[in-house]
Amino acid sequence: MLAETLVSDVLRTARSGGADFAELYVERWKRRGMRVLNGEVKEAASGLEYGAGLRLFYGTEVVYAYTNDLSAESLLELTETLVKLKGRAGQVDAQGRGGLDFRKQAAQGLHAPEVPLLAKDRRYRLERLLEAEAAARVAPEIKQVQTQLLEWEQEVLVATSEGKWVEDRRVRTRYVVTAIAQGEGGMQTGSMGPGKSVGLELFELYPPSVVGRQAGEQAMTNLRAKPAPAGTMPVVIGNAFGGVIFHEALGHLLETTSVAKKASVLSDRLGEKVASSCVTYIDDGTTPHGWGSSEFDDEGLATERTVLIENGVLKGYMVDRWGALRTGLRPTGSGRRQDYTFAPTSRMRNTFIAPGDTPKEKLFEGIEFGLYAKDMGGGQVKPGSGEYNFGVKEAYIIRRGRIEEPVRGAMLVGKGPDSISKIAAVSSDLETAPGMCGSLSGSLPVEVGQPHLLISEIVVGGQA
Amino acid sequence: MNFEEAKDYLLQKARQIGLEAEVLATETREMSLSAFEGRLEEITQATQGGLGVRVVVEGKVGYAYTEEKTPEALDWAMQEAYENALLQAGGEAFIPAGQALGQHDLLGEGLSAPLEKKQAAALAVEATLRQDARVKQVPRTAYREQEVEVVLGSTQGASGGYRTGVSVLMGSAILERGGAPKQSWNVDVSREFHALEPGKTALELIERTARLLGARPLKTGKYRAYFEPKAFAQLLGVISFLFSAKNVLEGKSLLADRVGERVASGLVTIVDDPTLPGGIASRPFDAEGTPSRPLVIIEQGVLKGFAHNSETARKMGVESTGHAQRGYKGVLGVGYSNLFLKPGSGVRLEEGVLVTEMMGLHAGANPISGDFSLQALGLKLEGGEVAYAVENFTVAGNLLTLLQSISAVGGELEWEYWGMALGAPMVEVAELSFAGA
Repeated sequence: MLAETLVSDVLRTARSGGADFAELYVERWKRRGMRVLNGEVKEAASGLEYGAGLRLFYGTEVVYAYTNDLSAESLLELTETLVKLKGRAGQVDAQGRGGLDFRKQAAQGLHAPEVPLLAKDRRYRLERLLEAEAAARVAPEIKQVQTQLLEWEQEVLVATSEGKWVEDRRVRTRYVVTAIAQGEGGMQTGSMGPGKSVGLELFELYPPSVVGRQAGEQAMTNLRAKPAPAGTMPVVIGNAFGGVIFHEALGHLLETTSVAKKASVLSDRLGEKVASSCVTYIDDGTTPHGWGSSEFDDEGLATERTVLIENGVLKGYMVDRWGALRTGLRPTGSGRRQDYTFAPTSRMRNTFIAPGDTPKEKLFEGIEFGLYAKDMGGGQVKPGSGEYNFGVKEAYIIRRGRIEEPVRGAMLVGKGPDSISKIAAVSSDLETAPGMCGSLSGSLPVEVGQPHLLISEIVVGGQA
Repeated sequence: MNFEEAKDYLLQKARQIGLEAEVLATETREMSLSAFEGRLEEITQATQGGLGVRVVVEGKVGYAYTEEKTPEALDWAMQEAYENALLQAGGEAFIPAGQALGQHDLLGEGLSAPLEKKQAAALAVEATLRQDARVKQVPRTAYREQEVEVVLGSTQGASGGYRTGVSVLMGSAILERGGAPKQSWNVDVSREFHALEPGKTALELIERTARLLGARPLKTGKYRAYFEPKAFAQLLGVISFLFSAKNVLEGKSLLADRVGERVASGLVTIVDDPTLPGGIASRPFDAEGTPSRPLVIIEQGVLKGFAHNSETARKMGVESTGHAQRGYKGVLGVGYSNLFLKPGSGVRLEEGVLVTEMMGLHAGANPISGDFSLQALGLKLEGGEVAYAVENFTVAGNLLTLLQSISAVGGELEWEYWGMALGAPMVEVAELSFAGA
């Protein structure tokens, strides 16, 4: 995307201005999206994003700049401004002189799409969304159905003053079906949103007729649901997007962004038992076609599979370059950013609880009164106190070991370390689901996952 | 090409093909300075901009944007917008007739302080926080400023622009007592750098976090709820979904068909005022070039109307209220500027729970059903006094029921900034469900 000589000039200018390390990140995105409501295209939009971010390290201090004027004059001027901002201009480093000998690496296409962005026309896409809509209309009470399709192709170049030159290409596709049911229970919603690092073959992996029906049925379930109970009780959490609870309760606490600053309740605890022994927690950037997968991270490191917790013992953190400098830990290919407007920080990729050996049915046995949180919405956490929450999209009462009537509007809250120690049993039915995760370096695609599992006690926020 | 030239190129192109088109361009300059352990840990300097085009072909609308300003990229955007439009069934879309809107400067000298002073402000927030022995860690403090240029032009005569911006101080701190840490954020936003006070930002943050130390679980039950202004402002952000004519037309608002009816307690008056002098989100005109004016949405409990852009206004047979919203990457929507709950005659704290902060609004509040169940932090009140801090609880209810159960409104407005400015005083709600131990 940029000439090698220009990249080399930028990095050398930064080094000769006194930076220990310089990294240039360049990207070009093509995005397409459409939103269809009740059979009509409401909005269809396309976009081209193009920009660069330059990051300089002075020890663990960072200066960052970004621009989408990628002319040679603009980039060199920006580099000089950055060097001046740090106030060490003129400290010429001998190593910074001369050309850079880049070692070039390119993506091998491990997550390449079968049907790329330009392969089929817009009508094809619209027809698939209309199929999903038709499937969502499972009952006359379904008054509104909205479907949205998002697709993107991102080309990335990361070049560093250490001679790294990495090119990656990421293709992602997702569609979301939202059904609104209206009746005596007011207006209630149901939604499903499959997404992968694939092209339009997503529609074959997750057929619109199935996804649509699931969204419609969830809305109908919520329509006949009563308000959720309130109080502390045992909860069985569903698989797939159920994993969002540990994304909040655990995952964010293991990113070096807070760990290195001792701003996480799980800082300095490697080797300690931090969870129930039935918990093994893994963050894997290499899952084929995973929604959060890429061959390289946004610092140009190959992604990897990182075991965070093994049988309850803390084994590792998610480490980016800055976190590695601060903690002395090896980087794990976890440096991610939304786009060129953000400097990378340590982030989750595809994070899941490994399967256990308790049959799913056993999880419910012996629960006198509790909640089955079958499908989850998003959540939030404060790493410094571990306090987290997440919303439940579809839930049922468990009474005397049986799944009974549906309830709506529940939220689960707790403190991460406390909740993970209360995981009593883990089933074997691991599944994953896509989500968007917001943090310091922006909003990123991540996969969450888990098998069904039982938490012996958690606060359920409801009205009844 | 610069922005002005790129905008003219796109409009020229549209005229050649015979399309109605509107171009919205924004250019943002940003700087942020983060402090950690007495040094500037991260400095960011940036410029970013792009152009978004909305075209209408035979009454159908399509969108595209580009950040690259080469003729090839601009041609691509125009072609994509055109093809996107052809997908629509519609037939009623239009670009509104526009006017010369002039050039406006809402920022003035707001950000004009030397870099050293801004660095000192970021460092001062951190230093003040670290002086307090209860502060265990200060993960992040920062000074941030943003200057935005907006340019609008259309083939239907709209042309104009404005400059705006904000100056922000923020900090996050972890305080600890008895092995149970608490973390909070504080963000102060202003139009003027000189109006920011690092000491105040830091001390407020410490005070807000310290009062939560030693928190106990809250017993599940129904309590009278008092929302601190910033907590209620967050809730107002969710409630604002109901006032959007776009959501009404799409069958997603609980307030559809209820104009003229009493939908909230008589103590509730909600206004959006884009002309508010010094307002963080003030604007001279909206994303379609409709001049700004204040809009009363709920007056003493009665729903007066919705916020409209030209498209929703035509469909509902009213005039646009000047609430069109669109970033260059986005599609036409409805959005607010400075939305606030008008102050009332005051709240007297008695028995109940004082909610100081809420978490999980994006997941725990469903504006379509109106149901909410949110993680809260707060203080238990007994006999008009703070008895103890409470944690690990949720507050739940329905947004409309909540609006109807407001039993007192405080006298002083405070603002939160969430893309729009949200203002609220202290609010008392007769009864809400709380879940805890």
